[in-house]
Amino acid sequence: MSALQQRLEAPLIDDELHAVRRRALKALMQYGFPDLKTEAWKYTSLRQLDKREAGQDPGLGDGSGSRPELPFAAAGIELRAGVSLPDGVRLEPLDADELNDLKYGGREDAFAWLNLARVEQPWCLHIERDPGLPLVLAQSTVADFTGDRHSFLRIEVAEGVNVTLIDWQQDAGAGLVNQVQTLELAPGSRLDHIVARSGAESAIIQRTEARVEAGADYRFTVLDQGGRLHRHDVMVNLLAEDARGEIDGVALIDSHQHVDFHTTIEHAVGPSNSRETFRMLADGSGVGVFNGRIHIHRGADDSHSDLNTANLLLSDSARINTKPELEIYAEEVTASHGATIGQLEDDALFYLRSRGLSSSEAASLLKRGFAGEPLERIFDEQVRDWLLTVLNTKLTSK
Amino acid sequence: MLSINNLHVSIDDKQILKGLDLEVGPGELHAIMGPNGSGKSTLGYALAGREGYEVTDGSIRFDGKDLGDLEPEERAAAGLFLAFQYPVEIPGVNNAYFLRSALNAQRKARGEQEQDSMGFLKEVRESLKALKMDEALLKRAVNEGFSGGEKKRNEIVQMAVLKPKLAILDETDSGLDIDALKLVAEGINRLRDDKRSFVVITHYQRLLDYLKPDRVHVLSRGRIVESGGEELARRLEDEGYAFLEEAAEA
Repeated sequence: MSALQQRLEAPLIDDELHAVRRRALKALMQYGFPDLKTEAWKYTSLRQLDKREAGQDPGLGDGSGSRPELPFAAAGIELRAGVSLPDGVRLEPLDADELNDLKYGGREDAFAWLNLARVEQPWCLHIERDPGLPLVLAQSTVADFTGDRHSFLRIEVAEGVNVTLIDWQQDAGAGLVNQVQTLELAPGSRLDHIVARSGAESAIIQRTEARVEAGADYRFTVLDQGGRLHRHDVMVNLLAEDARGEIDGVALIDSHQHVDFHTTIEHAVGPSNSRETFRMLADGSGVGVFNGRIHIHRGADDSHSDLNTANLLLSDSARINTKPELEIYAEEVTASHGATIGQLEDDALFYLRSRGLSSSEAASLLKRGFAGEPLERIFDEQVRDWLLTVLNTKLTSK
Repeated sequence: MLSINNLHVSIDDKQILKGLDLEVGPGELHAIMGPNGSGKSTLGYALAGREGYEVTDGSIRFDGKDLGDLEPEERAAAGLFLAFQYPVEIPGVNNAYFLRSALNAQRKARGEQEQDSMGFLKEVRESLKALKMDEALLKRAVNEGFSGGEKKRNEIVQMAVLKPKLAILDETDSGLDIDALKLVAEGINRLRDDKRSFVVITHYQRLLDYLKPDRVHVLSRGRIVESGGEELARRLEDEGYAFLEEAAEA
């Protein structure tokens, strides 16, 4: 039996969420895990995960785990009871009633169903006032992590509140980290959601789904520094007038790494606005996958959307599959999309070298310039500078 | 300063320079003119060490060194600068950051101390002001969204900061309006002293009116076919290059 199938066999936790878990497991058994014939997974194989026996989660040792070194003040969020939080921020367990209506799709959403079947305790983070400083959700795994970790977090941002949330993920292990996040943005709120991820051998599979109400602004930014198998589905639902959704992403992918981003922006109502910029840099035998879909529904008139994906292949054996998709059923819409895949330009390399930079310095500078652009839009200047420094350090060390 | 002897350069096996000789002494400014396709830009790229510009015969000596063995960045650190005919846009790379990195890379290669950011900014601001360029350009990406004239002036700003021993200016005057041309000429003249040398590739006498070259050369079909003083540039302006054909036929 494959390691993925084994995950279906393990007994469910018998607690008050048991019915929810059973429903999820039933769906998962009905649909099964995706394979290369599943459209949304056709470039991402689960073979690595499937041949690995699920092992142990040794936890975080002293209970704290790794923390990012941030050059600014921030409030840490931990998903457990009794953690002190800034005023206006509450963390509460979700009960069965709040999960009963949760629905996912078929085979393509197998990991979300698995998450619901196996998550120990789902949480809800209520952000009712502007905390005045960025919130940091730090999650890490240690080197001997070989188990499964499932987490479920709902985040509710109250009306008119502006907040920056840093989702910091550092993997050093070889297990499965499977996360589901649902975000609710009340009218007039703004959430700057920043994912800073560095990987090792673990499969990191994440689903982030945002529901954006009138005049609210959801900005998702990710810096993925690569890992054995990363898959992130980002779904932004613009549900009311003047809702805004932005996605900015950078993925750095090296040999034996695979990073897959599937993003969807749904313009359910117009006028609503969206913008997306995604950049991938693949080196060695690295593989990048990007699928960016913009769907402007019937009646979402006067909406606007721009989608741009640009990619750099830094070696002969690196691969990038990139696809922008634009579906428009509304009137008076302005929308654009574009995709490019290229290499470092000889003209630019020579120009920089003619000014005294070595070949590797010139290449590094070009890569930094290319990769940095999506991060330039982060709202909080300190957070922006920090993430650009993380990016530059990564690209300079290579 | 620069001694080129019997230089043969080919690109993709096509011979472009076919036995070019040129001597430029310290503090001298030489102009190179010539019809399109005569090999002027090839000379600039070959001097700067561009890949694909293969020296098949002859030699280039610069400041006592044989350039043939040096990488482009080593040539830059040795004091050679090429102002590009078409300056390259580098998206996402801040102009000030780029220039300071370049300056400090050269200094490091020469075993000199890095320049501090205060001193650097002061110098670069002065150069921008002299060339009537907006200081905001420093924060923009290198050459991105610059007008044609701004790109050319930006090359002169880079030259002023990097202070090369020898600057090769490849049609830096083309595409400039009269005021910008004058600013560029002044930018070049400010850097002139009894040591620093210039090779100015141009189609027009107007720039040379401001620069007062020590020598003017005509490049045709990969060789220098005529050399003279300023009056040669005036003759070309009046007569064009027809006399080259006549000379070739004679």
